[in-house]
Amino acid sequence: MNPAIDVQSLQKSFGDLQALQGATFHAASGEVLSLLGPNGAGKSTTISILSGLLEPSGGEAFIMGHSVIREPGATKALLGVVPQDVALYADLSTRENLVFWGKMYGLRGPGLHSRVAEVVDIIGLADRQRDPVGKLSGGMKRRLNIGVALLHKPAVIIMDEPTVGIDPQSRRHILNNVKELNQHGMTVLYTTHYMEEAAELSDHIAIMDRGKVIAYGTPRELVQIVGEQTRLDLTLNMPSEVVLPAWQKVEGVSRVCAEDGKITALVDDSNRVLPRLFDAATQAGARITSVDIQEPNLETVFLHLTGRALRD
Amino acid sequence: MKILDIAFKDLTRSLRSLFAIGMTVIAPLLVTSLIYLAFGATSAGSPGLPALKVGIVNLDRAPSGANGEANLGQAIHDMFYDSRVRSWITASDYPDEASARAAVDRQQIGVAVIVPSGFTTDLVEKGKTLPVAIVQDPTLTITPLVARDMVQTVLDGFLGGGIALGTIGQREESLGISMTPAQQSSLTQEYGEWYVGFQQDLLDRPDLAVLAMVAPAAGRTSAANPTRSLMGLVMSGMMVFFAFFTGAYSMSSILREQEEGTLARLFTTSTSRTSILAGKFLAVILMVILQGLVLMIAAHFAFGVNWGDPRGAALALVGQVVAAAGLGVLLISFIRNSKQMGPVLGGGLTVLSMLGGLFTVAVPNVPETFNLVSQFTPQGWVIKLWHIVLSGQPTADLLSPLAVTVGLGVAMFVLGAAVFRRRLA
Repeated sequence: MNPAIDVQSLQKSFGDLQALQGATFHAASGEVLSLLGPNGAGKSTTISILSGLLEPSGGEAFIMGHSVIREPGATKALLGVVPQDVALYADLSTRENLVFWGKMYGLRGPGLHSRVAEVVDIIGLADRQRDPVGKLSGGMKRRLNIGVALLHKPAVIIMDEPTVGIDPQSRRHILNNVKELNQHGMTVLYTTHYMEEAAELSDHIAIMDRGKVIAYGTPRELVQIVGEQTRLDLTLNMPSEVVLPAWQKVEGVSRVCAEDGKITALVDDSNRVLPRLFDAATQAGARITSVDIQEPNLETVFLHLTGRALRD
Repeated sequence: MKILDIAFKDLTRSLRSLFAIGMTVIAPLLVTSLIYLAFGATSAGSPGLPALKVGIVNLDRAPSGANGEANLGQAIHDMFYDSRVRSWITASDYPDEASARAAVDRQQIGVAVIVPSGFTTDLVEKGKTLPVAIVQDPTLTITPLVARDMVQTVLDGFLGGGIALGTIGQREESLGISMTPAQQSSLTQEYGEWYVGFQQDLLDRPDLAVLAMVAPAAGRTSAANPTRSLMGLVMSGMMVFFAFFTGAYSMSSILREQEEGTLARLFTTSTSRTSILAGKFLAVILMVILQGLVLMIAAHFAFGVNWGDPRGAALALVGQVVAAAGLGVLLISFIRNSKQMGPVLGGGLTVLSMLGGLFTVAVPNVPETFNLVSQFTPQGWVIKLWHIVLSGQPTADLLSPLAVTVGLGVAMFVLGAAVFRRRLA
C-alpha cells in the first residue's frame, strides 16, 4: 500500500539559497506526521511543494501515490491546505467564505450546503455564520481557516503552523480538531516549531534543519537518541561568552550553546555536572542566576543533533 | 462555472467596499454635481449663465422738424430692453454719464452704453455719427464684448442707411430728379423698417434670413438646453476618467489577494490558474459595465443628460469597457504590490486622463496639438466616442474610432494577461 505522503530527496533552490537539500520522509495513511524544526528549516518550502505552489528543483513527492509534479490536479483534489497565515476574505461572512471555497474545491448544490453546515459545526462557528470574517476573533479566524480545508473531505490535510500567535483556548480547540480529524481517518501533515504540540499530536515526527530531515521516528524513538542526557537552561549575571569556552571543556557536557542571554547545555548527569559548571563560572568571574533542569525531550534531541536550541 | 464564481465573489467584495463605491460611483457624480451647481443650473430650462448687467444713458433727441419718429438713440436703448434678450441681459436706465460711470465703479452694472446728445441729428443732417461711449468694468470680458457687438450692429445699420441715402442723392442728381424732404424721410423710414425686419428674421426666422445660423444636427439638444449639453460633456469626461480608475482598481484585487494569502490558497485548490485569472478579468469587465450603466442612468435623472441614440451610447460604452479593462489589466500586471498602486492609479491614470482631454472635455476650441496628443491615449479615444454620441452624429461615425478603441483595449488586455500568466506560473 502506498504511503499517504511520500517525499523522496526533495530539493529546492532560490538562487544561491538551498532551501531543501534532499529532504526525505513519509507518512502512512491515517497518521499524524509532524515536521518539527526552527524557522528556515525548510518546513514551509516542503509543504509549498506538496500543495502545488512551488516546483521542486529535484527529487519527487507523492500524495496517495500521485506525483505532485506530474499529476497536480489529482493531488490537489486529495489535499486540504491550511496556510500559516489566515487566508480568508475578511469582507465576506463565515458562510460566504465556506460556500466560495467549497465551490473552488468543486462542490455544488445541496452537497455543498450540507457540507458547509457540517464544517461550521466541526469548527464551532455555527452561531457566527453570518458575521463578516473581519469581525471574528483571531482564534475563530484560525478555526475557519482550518474549516475551509476540510470542505471537500480531503484524504490528506496539511497544516502549516496553525497555532502561531493565538490564545491558549483556541490553540487547544485546534489541537483537539486535529486529533478528531485523525480519528476519522484523515492523514495530517503538521508543521510546527512547538515541540510540545509535535509530541502530543504525532504518530511520527520528522525533525528538519537547514533543508534536511535530520531525524525521523516516533516521539519515543527520537527521545531515545539522546539516551539519559539532561538539558540544562542557565542564565548568568554577565554575557555568556565569558563562560562558554570553559563550560564546553567541562567533563560530562556534550553540547552547549547560547542564545538571547540564555545558555543551554546537554549533560550526562546533572547532579555531577552542575557543580563543575558553578566552579567554572566562579573561576571566570561570573555568577549563575538561574538553572532549569529538563528531562530528555524533542528539544533535547534537536540540541543533541544540531548543537543549537530548537527555539533558534 | 468557477470563473463566474470568482467573478461574482470579486464583484461582491467591490460592492461592499466603501472606497470602491466612492471612487466608482459617488466621486464622478459628486464632481459633476459641483460643476452643475457652479453653473447655477437647477432647472432643466435654465441656460445656466448669469444675466449681463448693462446700463443705458440716452442723451439723444430727435432732430427738430423730424417726422415724429423716435430718435436713433432710442433704438439703441430699446435693443437692450428687447424681449428676446431679457433672459440674459438686465438693462437699466441712467439719467447722465456720471451716474452710469458711478454704477460701473460700484460694479452694479458691467457696462454703461452712453449715446451722446445730438447723435441722431448728426447722422441725419451731417451723415456722420458721434461716438457712442461704452464704459466697462475692467474685470469683465463677456459683458463688454456683447454690448459692443450689439451697439456695433445697430450703428452698422444706421451707417448703411446713410450710405443708401447718399447713393440715392447721387442718382437723383444724375437723373435730374429731385425728392421732397417728406419723400426722403419716407425712404429713410422704409429702409429702417427693412433693417429691423432683417435683424428679426436673423434671430427668429432663419429660413427667411440672408445670413443663416445653422447648428450641427445634435445641436438640437444644445440649442434647446445648453446646460444639459454641457453637463453631458462634463459627465462623460468624469465617467471615462473614473471608468479607467475602476478598471485598474478592480484588477488590483489580484494584488490584494496575493498579500492576503488567498491567491496562494486558490492555487492549492483544484481550480486552474487560467480559470482564476479569467474570473478576475470577468469581474473587472462586469464592474466597469455596471459603473457605466449606473452613472449614465444617474446623470440622466440628476442632470438631465441626454445620452443620444441608445445604440450609439451602447457602442461607446462597449469601447469604454474594453479600453478601461484592458488598461487596468496591463497597468496592474506591472505592479508588484498594493503600495505601488497609489502612484500608478493616482498619478499615471490622472496624467493619461489629462492628456486624453477628459478634464477639458467641455472647453471649446482646444489647440489642435492637444487633440493630437489625446489620440495617443485610450482615454482620448473613448471620450471621442462619447463626443460623437452626444453631438448626435450618426452611429456609423462611431465605427472607426470604436474599432481603434477596442483594438487598443484588446491589445492591452492580451499583453497584461500574458504578463500575469508568466508571473503566476
